[in-house]
Amino acid sequence: MQYLIQLLISGLAIGAMYGLIAMGFAVIYKSTGLVNFAQGEMTMITAYIAWTISTTVSGNVFVVAIGAILAAVVLGLVIERLVMRPMLGEPVFATVMVTIGLAVILRSAINFIWDAYPHGLDIGMGRGIVHLGGIGVRTGQIAVIATLLLLLAAIWAFFRYSKVGVAMRAVAADDRTALLMGISATKVHALAWAASSAIAGIGGVFFALSYDLSPAMFQLGLKAFPATILGGLDAVLGSGLGGLLIGITENLAGGYLGSGMKEVAGFAMIIVVLMVRPFGIFGERDIERV
Amino acid sequence: MRTGDYKQSYGELVALIDSPPVWLWSAVLLLALIAAPWLLNSYALSFLMIILITVTGALGLNILTGYTGLISLGHVGFLVTGAYAYAVLVSKYHMPPLVGFLGAGIVPALASLIVGAPSLRLKGLYLAITTLAFSFIINTVILEMRWLTNGARGIQVQRPEILGISFDGDAAFTYLCLAFAASTLFATLNIRRSRVGRAFVAIRDNDTAARVMGINLHAYKLFAFVTSAFITGIAGALYGIYLSFVSVEGFPFLLSIEALAILIVGGLGSALGAVLGTVLIVLLPEATRLVFSLFSAQMDATFTTGAQELKSMLYGLVIILFLRFQPRGLVGAWHDIKRTWVHWPLRY
Repeated sequence: MQYLIQLLISGLAIGAMYGLIAMGFAVIYKSTGLVNFAQGEMTMITAYIAWTISTTVSGNVFVVAIGAILAAVVLGLVIERLVMRPMLGEPVFATVMVTIGLAVILRSAINFIWDAYPHGLDIGMGRGIVHLGGIGVRTGQIAVIATLLLLLAAIWAFFRYSKVGVAMRAVAADDRTALLMGISATKVHALAWAASSAIAGIGGVFFALSYDLSPAMFQLGLKAFPATILGGLDAVLGSGLGGLLIGITENLAGGYLGSGMKEVAGFAMIIVVLMVRPFGIFGERDIERV
Repeated sequence: MRTGDYKQSYGELVALIDSPPVWLWSAVLLLALIAAPWLLNSYALSFLMIILITVTGALGLNILTGYTGLISLGHVGFLVTGAYAYAVLVSKYHMPPLVGFLGAGIVPALASLIVGAPSLRLKGLYLAITTLAFSFIINTVILEMRWLTNGARGIQVQRPEILGISFDGDAAFTYLCLAFAASTLFATLNIRRSRVGRAFVAIRDNDTAARVMGINLHAYKLFAFVTSAFITGIAGALYGIYLSFVSVEGFPFLLSIEALAILIVGGLGSALGAVLGTVLIVLLPEATRLVFSLFSAQMDATFTTGAQELKSMLYGLVIILFLRFQPRGLVGAWHDIKRTWVHWPLRY
């Protein structure tokens, strides 16, 4: 029982990180109709920048957090402007392939800018252990779950009530009509890339806090992928929750079936999900007109 | 000099080669390739081997992604399955290499049925994601089936001896690769001009319309999957023999990206494009290294230390630049040049 609860809690924590990155996928998909295959790499770069800030500028939590979020926003804006904007209006296949090319470039760039060795991100907190009813939980694990829930609520409110959020939904539903209503699709896209990069970046920093930074971190993107598919590519909230589900499944599979199963549990799950409900649990079925 | 398209029957429209100069140049190319192992040094010969093996694999992916329009991000999965099928049959159970090559085709083809069947409901991105998931699952399966595959330790593979002919030397092995690459090229060109090939292209261009015309989508999509996996598997076996060691690490995920880069750079949906793309992508890192080494010895040193990273960066850059500036690839560029040459100074 103790073992099960332990697995569930660490599953929730890693799931929350997947959830954050999955929300990054969904924000971009929702407003631009693209799957951003470079999401994991963008997450990794944000985490590395956070590490650089913590070692060179200051190890203060707030400095690192604000610096990392700003860096993630800038990264998202730069990528959108330089790489994605010129591809506007091209077929989806071409644009998605561009994100794959971008992913490969960013992944190698890590090895040039930083190095290939693992680093620990230490900002003096997150690794302490709190005892909750006899079960040891890391403070970082609690923090990441809380952050995910907070962001889920914030994003729900943003899409529901704010003018910009409604505009983003409008662009996603029909960009031409949105354009005629006076919404700038390019600005909305830029905003989506910045927001996605920041949300996923937060997940990446939390991952670096609990585990270590290494150039293999881009796999976080691949792991978060099943979460987005599970929740629905166009469902931001669903993706967040999908992350929690994937995290728990993965940990249970790893705990009871062996470590090999842990690696592929998420992927096995998306194949099943895609067969049964290709648009995800919370996604909308897209109807094709002939 | 070609003065027009004088096609008088349907047969001429689908002919494999429709003009004598093309016959001539193809023959010249083939003779050059046959002479090459005698003329090239072993360093250049290794590039020729890699090009021939990669062409085989790229043509396999071309059937699925280029002709049928089904994007696969997991072709390295078929590559590694083929390599393991060959290694297990030949090195472990001491079967003749021909059986090994047959197995290297059939096992991935069966695996492709497992991936292909659920993928029939999916389109575009979702399909790409399923194939991506497949390639990760297959790696774990191989690592877990230790009794068959030696797990992470991998399997040693010898150069084969087929029908009494030893393919141990580099030149001999190049001929083996050449034989496989040339027959694959012929096979794909012939598939393209047959009824099946036209059905593939119809599915790519508009699947709803193709279905209305009476094309059985499920059957043809599965057929594309199986054919593509068969060819890719054989390329995997060749690559395994080339490396002389088959392990999961020998087939990184980057190979899937490399294959897609080849198709995009060459021109999607064209066998000629797959060949041109392969030559460019395989030689690109080497060419860049040469250019860099002209500038300074220090840059040359960076290249040797970070070779793998620079290589993948180049792939990424080439993919983005081609999609941005020449989406029809090298084949498209070649057509443009020809048209300009013929019509100059008129635009068309």
